[in-house]
Amino acid sequence: MTNTWDLEAWQLSKRFPDGTYALQNIDWSVKPGETMALIGESGSGKTTLLRLLNRLAEPSSGEVFIQGHPATKQDPITLRRRLGYVPQDGGLFPHWTIRHNVCLVPQLLEWPIDQQHDRFNTLLPLVNLDPTQIADRYPIELSGGQRQRVAVARALAADPPIVLFDEPFSALDPLTRHELHEQFLALKTTLHKTMVVITHDMAEAFHLGDRITVLKDGRIHQMGTTQELIDTPATPYVTSLIQHHLAQIH
Amino acid sequence: MSVGWLQKSLLSALVFLIWIGPVLASSNSTIIVGSKNFLENRLLAEMFAQLIEAHTTLTVERRLGLAGTQICFQALTTGGIDLYPEYTGTGLVTILREPAMRDPSAVLNRVRSEFRKRWNLWWLAPLGFDNSYALALRRDRAHAFNIRTITDLVRVAPKLKAGFGYEFIQRADGLPGLKQLYGLQFHDVVGMQQSLKYQATENGDVDVLDVYTTDGRLAVYDFVVLEDDRQFFPPYDATALVRGAMLKRHPELGQVLSLLTNALSPKRMRELNLRIQEQGEAIPQVAYDALHTLHLVKEDHPSSTATIKESTSFLSYMWKRRATLMVRTGEHLGLAGTGLLLGIMLAIPLAFILERWRTGAETMIRFIGMSQTIPSMALLAFMIPLFGVGALPAIMALWIYSLYPIVRNTFSGLRDAAPTVVETGRALGMTEWQILRSVRLPLAAPTIMAGIRTAAIWTVGTATLAAFIGAGGLGVPIVSGLQLADVNIILSGALPATILALIVDGLLGWVERLVRPRGLEASQ
Repeated sequence: MTNTWDLEAWQLSKRFPDGTYALQNIDWSVKPGETMALIGESGSGKTTLLRLLNRLAEPSSGEVFIQGHPATKQDPITLRRRLGYVPQDGGLFPHWTIRHNVCLVPQLLEWPIDQQHDRFNTLLPLVNLDPTQIADRYPIELSGGQRQRVAVARALAADPPIVLFDEPFSALDPLTRHELHEQFLALKTTLHKTMVVITHDMAEAFHLGDRITVLKDGRIHQMGTTQELIDTPATPYVTSLIQHHLAQIH
Repeated sequence: MSVGWLQKSLLSALVFLIWIGPVLASSNSTIIVGSKNFLENRLLAEMFAQLIEAHTTLTVERRLGLAGTQICFQALTTGGIDLYPEYTGTGLVTILREPAMRDPSAVLNRVRSEFRKRWNLWWLAPLGFDNSYALALRRDRAHAFNIRTITDLVRVAPKLKAGFGYEFIQRADGLPGLKQLYGLQFHDVVGMQQSLKYQATENGDVDVLDVYTTDGRLAVYDFVVLEDDRQFFPPYDATALVRGAMLKRHPELGQVLSLLTNALSPKRMRELNLRIQEQGEAIPQVAYDALHTLHLVKEDHPSSTATIKESTSFLSYMWKRRATLMVRTGEHLGLAGTGLLLGIMLAIPLAFILERWRTGAETMIRFIGMSQTIPSMALLAFMIPLFGVGALPAIMALWIYSLYPIVRNTFSGLRDAAPTVVETGRALGMTEWQILRSVRLPLAAPTIMAGIRTAAIWTVGTATLAAFIGAGGLGVPIVSGLQLADVNIILSGALPATILALIVDGLLGWVERLVRPRGLEASQ
């Protein structure tokens, strides 16, 4: 049963030091090659779930499975190097060049230098950037949109099977965001990776996600495709989200 | 980093130079002569030194100008110095803290027996003069109020302003004791440098001053010395106070110093003091002449010919003294540099540890911060019982001073270094060590350097005070200049010290820019 999912959570719970629940008894799963959008308000537990996947946090109870193996049985460092990660503002190292930033994980994995350089030159066009132009620049010299694209390239550098995105586009203006959405979808078609994208924007979730998970107060309200959410909302909260979203488009 | 290596080797060389001095001094054939920081005491010490050099094979190291009786005495008991000129009355009242006695022989016997018993310190035979404290006034004022004795003064004192030396104000055989015995109460008491008091009294800025009875200027200024009619002041016979251990190891020392027994009269001392005070002759020269007149040194004995006090331009004065000033600057850099280097070596690892185990870190840092509230002079004095006098206690004090800015900045720099970036590094699979080395340290480097820079300025500035405990440095001309009230001499220390501080600041500012990683905004 566990082999058919790339990511799984079984009765996963995470408690705060004061006893309240960040996540409560979550059962969750993502298929290989699918893009799962995680949507919720702040405090809903979506970031916590992501952090439990790459062991930046440990569960209070329950289990996380990465490609069929329990996360807690794997060395956290090795695990993280197999998971791509794009944080909210890109998280590029300001004192490293673009090339150095992108090649971080290959360098940690001790790839030969030539291989690192080749990978850099191949990756950047995928996110619509010219490697010769920006290889030796510093993040401060790039625009917000360019930085975010570099961050995506960095996440893909070691060719991980799974990539995690934590509100990757929320800090960008609507025009840039639209442009990056398009690029994201192009990458999706090309790369066939399993991706988890956290967002607080319903439109973005519908646009980017194959399936959507709705979180509120540490619990999953619904997990399903766009159509399933629109046709058969599982809870009043989901209903209100859909209505709000539809009202906005019309 | 080639720059780092250069700095390190320069500092190592300086440390070596600073340390080689005390190491050599502690060898068996060296005698360390100390003195207090007033002119007559320096003169006597210089006479002792030249006498020893002329008549024995011993090497003499001079640590003159220590800041007061207590520091000299502590230096003696801890072996920081081997002898210094002391006065019997001071030994009785200030060191033994016993009430004054009137008979000079009684005082001498008492201090002799007690000092030998308690500390193995020996009072050699008196030099022949008594240098007592006394009170004095301008002659016209004394006549106007009809004052000849201290009891007469008590009548008028509530209308008068007094300018006294700092030690006199505090010593039991000084102002407090006078108050108690005579009921002496002034309208106003101001603490003043010895060299400024005479001028101030002459001008009428103060009415009464304390004087030493062998002060040369008493011959020049028209002052009346008041009679101590109730015999408050004990006898102050001058002689050498020597460590018993040194006398035992080198019996010739005692023989040579006894050549001065009863050799100096009060009148002679006044003449010698006058030459230094008013005519600006160099102390070594005056000491040599005094010994020569007594036929205690030969014609061809080397002596310093540089006159300290000359009315020449400042620049030509600096140029003349350039060799000494270079040495002083080197000493100064050595003291400050060593203190700073030790500070860096302790503070940075400490800050790393505190940042790792956060519990109690703030408390610890605040505790270290308390060291900044201790006045520098007091901190230097605290080090003496532990480390003697000279470079070592100065370096210890400077080390303590340099800790706080470096610890504080390193801690904050590490803690606050771009936390989101650190978290991202962790999420991408960097180990904590890799994050520290490649992310946190480079991002914290400018802040850490700023802390080191602050500490550097402080140590260079505070090192000026090291002169008071015999450590050398650019404070030495400042202290001498204060005693002689000569602005040129003071500036010859103060100016290089300031320039040094500016250079150090500039240099470290350049290093700060060097360690700032490329790609960071200047404001970060």
